[in-house]
Amino acid sequence: MTPTRKLMLQLSGIAIVLLMWEIAGRIMGENLLAAPSIVAVTYVELLLDGEMLIELLNSLRQMILGFGAACLVGMPLGALMGRSRLIDALVHPWISMIVVTSVAALVPIFMMLFGTGFEFRVAIVFVATIGYVVLTAYHGARGIDPKILDVARSFGTGRIDTYRKVILPALFPYLITGARLGLVHAIRAMVVAEMFVIVGYGGLIFQTGLDLSTAPILGYLVTIMVVSIGANVALQRVGDRVAPWYAARMAR
Amino acid sequence: MTAKLELKRLAKAFPRGSEPPLEVVRDFTLEIRNLEFLSVIGPSGCGKSTLLRLIDGLILADSGRILMDGRDVTGVVGGEGRGMVFQSFDLFPWRTTRGNVEFGLEVAGAGKAERRERAEHYIRLVGLEGFEDAYPHELSGGMQQRVGFARALAIRPEILLMDEPFGALDVQTRDILQDELLNIWSTEQKTVLFVTHSIEEAIYLADRIVVISPRPARVERIIEVPFDRPRHERIKSLPEFLQLRQEIWSLLKEGVKI
Repeated sequence: MTPTRKLMLQLSGIAIVLLMWEIAGRIMGENLLAAPSIVAVTYVELLLDGEMLIELLNSLRQMILGFGAACLVGMPLGALMGRSRLIDALVHPWISMIVVTSVAALVPIFMMLFGTGFEFRVAIVFVATIGYVVLTAYHGARGIDPKILDVARSFGTGRIDTYRKVILPALFPYLITGARLGLVHAIRAMVVAEMFVIVGYGGLIFQTGLDLSTAPILGYLVTIMVVSIGANVALQRVGDRVAPWYAARMAR
Repeated sequence: MTAKLELKRLAKAFPRGSEPPLEVVRDFTLEIRNLEFLSVIGPSGCGKSTLLRLIDGLILADSGRILMDGRDVTGVVGGEGRGMVFQSFDLFPWRTTRGNVEFGLEVAGAGKAERRERAEHYIRLVGLEGFEDAYPHELSGGMQQRVGFARALAIRPEILLMDEPFGALDVQTRDILQDELLNIWSTEQKTVLFVTHSIEEAIYLADRIVVISPRPARVERIIEVPFDRPRHERIKSLPEFLQLRQEIWSLLKEGVKI
């Protein structure tokens, strides 16, 4: 399939659903399901009003902290788990448990532990993200070609240099994938956590849910989708730029 | 001539769960002369790659000793005057030609200027000027193996261990690289241990050929190659060449059980 054709089909897919939504919206009315045309108008108002973007930026700042911490801890941890059976055996059960746990279920405990402020949100995002970051790094580290490690040994490469100059670069594509996966979950967790304590962007969505019209809430969802997809694409671009060898291999 | 490398009664077996361990190398004794080009030939799976990996210290021998210029290098992993060229090239995909060639110098702690200069020398020697900044995926198989040569040569090893370096290349590229290897060998003054399963390649390149018996690997016969250097493509059709080839083939055939 050519890229143009693929793009056309993707756009058509979106257009068909938007059309169906428009029809459904006209039938059901604005307070059940606002039609895209109404959402579009409301969306411009929300943008001009500025509150949406300010809340979003505030929330994203805290999200980035939790996400960054998860990457800082999770990437080396996952790499170590992949290379050391001892560490894997010690840590893996916990990671498995964290990954399957619903963020919403953790909220009550975290509220008792951290209150409802800054620490609470960072902690929730951290826990929601770290499992994915660790597991992708772990699988990357396990999958490193033993032949390339033999080359390193053949040159008498020391332990630290082997980590720095061989394992880390070999892992890089996995770290980027882990970060992309983690980021999606970080943003989701941010919204969920904020909806419980009615602060930030999640709080805004929660409160708007009580309004008569569903148009603003759909607008907020559009924004968070755009942010999430945009951040993902940006991370991928960074990965392609820093690791051209990997992009080329994938393109084959 | 003095011995550069002495292999003394090397043995290696790999454990296989409940079955008895698989003996890959047994009682292997061999002397490699200084600055000679020695081919090691045997049927595939006979343990000749294992032998090379033992010498490089990538795997540990169960018993026996490896002496280089009389000093014991048994169990010393990598380096120590040994440079290895791998069958599947195994370049670091995230490093450019220059980065790959500099790798060994980098981990040995050489300074930046020295690394650069030496890398440039060996990149030129293997004929890759202009490709210094290319990544492996941008190079053909033959060019990748040239980088593999340069990477091994850059640490100035006294002995070059080559594990079927042309095994993954097409015939034409193989022929060209054989000649280039001989050129490099004549200018660089190295002892070469060259593992192959191609009889023709072994004769064409080597001063001596060690024929290995299949698992467990042992020295079956050592053959002196009578051709003068520099060698040319045309010796491959000489009657002596064909006769030698036939002789080695019958030696190998005895050992092969299909």
